[in-house]
Amino acid sequence: MNRTVLLLSLCSAVLLVADSPAKPLPDRALGLSKGSVFDVPSPPSYKDEGSEPGEKKLPKRINQETPPVIPHSVADCLPITRSSNLCVDCHAIAGPKKKGDPTPIPASHFMDYRRSPDTKGKAIAGTRYVCTACHVARTDAPQLVGNRFRP
Amino acid sequence: MSLTLNRRTFLKAGFTTAAIGAGGLPLEALPAEAKGWNWERGVCRFCGTGCGIRVASKDGRVVAVKGDLQNPVNRGLLCAKGYACAQILYGEDRLKRPLLRKRNGQFDKQGDFEEVSWKEAFDVMKAQWTKAHTALGPTGVAVMGSGQYTIQEGYAAVKLVKAGWRSNNLDPNARHCMASAVTAFMQTFGIDEPSGCYDDIELTDTVVTWGANMAEMHPMLWARIIDERLRRPSYRIINLTTYANATSEGADLEIVFKPNTDLAIWNYLAREVVKRGAVDQAFVAQHCVFAAGPVDIGFGLREDSLKAYDAEKDTQARQKTVVLTREEAIARGLDPEAKHERAQSASGSPQKHWLISFEDFQKGLEPYTLDFVAALAKGDPDEPLEAFKAKLVQLADEYADPKRKQVSFWTMGFNQHTRGTWVNEQAYMLHLLTGKQARPGAGAFSLTGQPSACGTAREVGTFAHRLPADMSVDDAGHRKHAEELWKLPHNTLNPKIGSHITQMMRDLEDGKVKWLWVQVTNPFQSTANANHWIEAARKLDNFIVVSDVYPTLSSKVADLILPSAMIYEKWGGYGNAERRTQLWRQVVLPPGEARTDVWQMMEFSKHFTLAEVWGEQKVPGLDADGYEKGKLPNVLTAAQAQGYKPDSTLYDVLFATPAAKKFAWPDPVAFGKPNSTVAHAGITWFPEKALFEEYRQFGLGHGHDLAPFDVYFKREVSGLRWPVVDGKETLWRFNDQYDPYAKKGSGIDFYGTAMKKVPVGDLDGPKPGDPKALPGKAKIFFRPWQEPPESPNATYDLWLCTGRVLEHWHSGTMTRRVPQLHAAVPEALLFMHAKDADQRGLKAGDLAWIESRRGKIQARVTLGGRNKVPRGLVYVPWFDEGVFINKITLDATCPISKETDFKKCAVRIARVG
Repeated sequence: MNRTVLLLSLCSAVLLVADSPAKPLPDRALGLSKGSVFDVPSPPSYKDEGSEPGEKKLPKRINQETPPVIPHSVADCLPITRSSNLCVDCHAIAGPKKKGDPTPIPASHFMDYRRSPDTKGKAIAGTRYVCTACHVARTDAPQLVGNRFRP
Repeated sequence: MSLTLNRRTFLKAGFTTAAIGAGGLPLEALPAEAKGWNWERGVCRFCGTGCGIRVASKDGRVVAVKGDLQNPVNRGLLCAKGYACAQILYGEDRLKRPLLRKRNGQFDKQGDFEEVSWKEAFDVMKAQWTKAHTALGPTGVAVMGSGQYTIQEGYAAVKLVKAGWRSNNLDPNARHCMASAVTAFMQTFGIDEPSGCYDDIELTDTVVTWGANMAEMHPMLWARIIDERLRRPSYRIINLTTYANATSEGADLEIVFKPNTDLAIWNYLAREVVKRGAVDQAFVAQHCVFAAGPVDIGFGLREDSLKAYDAEKDTQARQKTVVLTREEAIARGLDPEAKHERAQSASGSPQKHWLISFEDFQKGLEPYTLDFVAALAKGDPDEPLEAFKAKLVQLADEYADPKRKQVSFWTMGFNQHTRGTWVNEQAYMLHLLTGKQARPGAGAFSLTGQPSACGTAREVGTFAHRLPADMSVDDAGHRKHAEELWKLPHNTLNPKIGSHITQMMRDLEDGKVKWLWVQVTNPFQSTANANHWIEAARKLDNFIVVSDVYPTLSSKVADLILPSAMIYEKWGGYGNAERRTQLWRQVVLPPGEARTDVWQMMEFSKHFTLAEVWGEQKVPGLDADGYEKGKLPNVLTAAQAQGYKPDSTLYDVLFATPAAKKFAWPDPVAFGKPNSTVAHAGITWFPEKALFEEYRQFGLGHGHDLAPFDVYFKREVSGLRWPVVDGKETLWRFNDQYDPYAKKGSGIDFYGTAMKKVPVGDLDGPKPGDPKALPGKAKIFFRPWQEPPESPNATYDLWLCTGRVLEHWHSGTMTRRVPQLHAAVPEALLFMHAKDADQRGLKAGDLAWIESRRGKIQARVTLGGRNKVPRGLVYVPWFDEGVFINKITLDATCPISKETDFKKCAVRIARVG
């Protein structure tokens, strides 16, 4: 059985909830790593995003609630330390976003929700200081399986 | 690129971006309820922090999540994983029907998976259960549970396995996570779980992280720490670790130590505190005693495995006998030039302990001088010894300063340790010596990894030795209490402690367990030395059931896969690391024929009559007062006297009890939300509420009080920290200002009752005489540093440390199906020092073999990134089943807690090809 057939049979197994029974599925067709649990695979090689800030069109945001991913290379931006935060340095600008500008850090990031939730502070909230806790970088890795989340 | 370089130069000149203002930004429009979204309160699915979440649904689907502004844990923020709590529900390969290995229409262990009905699934599962139970008795069947069980799921599992099947073979993945924390709490305080709470972060002067990379593993607690650090210049962060990590980036002081030497560093600190006169004499005299235990306790390895690989045998031999290294001789006050062989004779009774004098305690600490410890513990071969010494002195200055408060946080670096119980106890040792425990802003604080490691695994008691509310199966009084609450005949419960999760794997390999049900966990990926266990699962005569939401590595080795509901598709509750219990309503329906775990256990329990399980049962090795050796008694006659019939099912006796059925469904607390357990069971009562209310009875009145079910759904309640007495939560336990259980006027009252009557002796052992009662006291243990079971040598020349990454949760089965998280960290990399790589002809991106005595796998090399390892150590995260690092790790455990040490074993690295 070739890989395509395996994948198709996997799809049919999880899509069909009707009475028509799906084809038998070997265990190697299940899960994120196709193959036997006894295999020793050679992991593929992926590249970190290498583009300069502003070089590529921004990817579509998942929704307003999910922090946007970092669209550009972070190789020269990290680590974030107490004395150096290159993310904030570029992105702490007044909005709304103008063409060619970095994405402005929104006002919510200047609110101290713990101590004074109704006042906008002058500096970015300390809880938001480590940008990479919420905003993730990206590589060229394709999805392992599709995701049907729709906002 | 020149732009960023210029900017960096600019920053190095001392410009601090944190102070940049941003005038005139509009507040981002909040998602309007006008979109038809219905917001409901939930809890994050992932780590032990327990962040509050708001979940939006529309047309039966979760459409968004956001941080809960009202919840004091996280005040509106989530980490990258938390924001993915909606996406994790919708991976395309969600399991929607039971899958059974079949050939020619029949179950066949070598068959392929075919869709079957739930009825067929349960029928085969039961037939296989009976086969194993008939051959081996209650110990031949086992359930692997989870710190990700909801409270109700864990409680249902305890009832089904311990009361129904009379087996104690129920153990959670949480064994791998914080069992060492539990044993240390019990031995030190006589009661489980932290005295402090997260408020300590804002109240302390210094945060010390020990083997806890909080920046990646507890990002929202770290956000609070960094927030405090940025606002308060006197606030300090000290990171003790075996490699530079993301937490180091925010730290004022980083101390990189050699794996396993954390015990020596604690003893140096204690020695300094004593020598400098920094002991809080009044605190120690009023609230503490000194204690010690046996020293040669082994490493939790098997001595006699017939299936050990040849290469494993030298490490396993250390379970029997150890020849002390020069440093170990010095640490024991012995002649370093002589040969000292030590039989690991206390490996059968490692938990024993006795009281010692302060003088003995001091004598134990004496070898741990600055010179000795610095030379032993320096973890970066490229760091000058004097620089490392200066750091240790700074650390001692910090802890010894009576004017400064410290919180010491730890997680897996301490817990996953062959001396895990000891090193947890050493943290309490120092905080108790200095009187900095159970006070606002001061305390040793054990964090947890999983969302309900505390709430379920510990408090409900899904461990092989536990019953709810800190009770134990090997305590006659505790069994009696549980039997009364559960309305079971006397001696229904099994007094013999069951197999811990690693032992269950060993039992599977040895043919001692032949039926296994895995719930809410992925143990065939997460258990160390995995080659043995996947071989046992696939090639021996046994039956493995895996209930999960996605096909995992464990489901690939299973015989039957059951599709489960997840997080917001069911009613549930979690308890986080600060004792905060948080419950949630079901928001959406599970897909296809996926079912809640509570439904699965209730439904399966209908397949058992009392006659099958409550007759006489053989239990090899059972030896307890009131029981015939090797046997559980027939309790059917007594059961009949209680009104049960031999053909009553476990469903009738354990779940659908008259008391449970009084909790009617529909219930106003649901506000119209669904309940799939109820719908699929076709009942008119509310199992999740009934289970919670029954469970709650165990904790009332002795320091584990939870509020009634409905209270947790009040608008103003964002979870409550137990004990909850008269509607009030408890922030600092044992402190009479805050904890209603602490005797008023005592100041501090360590009121835990477990292990509070112990013999008296000296460092060499207990002396004959009556044990001493220790009401209200905590124990300050002396625990020595020792070498680990396996260290780098000429053949396997590097340390291997494993762990998590921020973007992925555990074995990655949820987060790797979230597009942005997978794209961020698509595979587990091998973090190496550039010189180590260079010596092996490796550069960044190359494929390398990682090989230990137990197996070999491939991974790609990275030389930079978030972990900067010292020469001699490599790091590989474990989330990636394609880089199956637990084929490499060693299944040695802390002999007391039985928790595996995933943080250190010896490997060699070579280029592929």
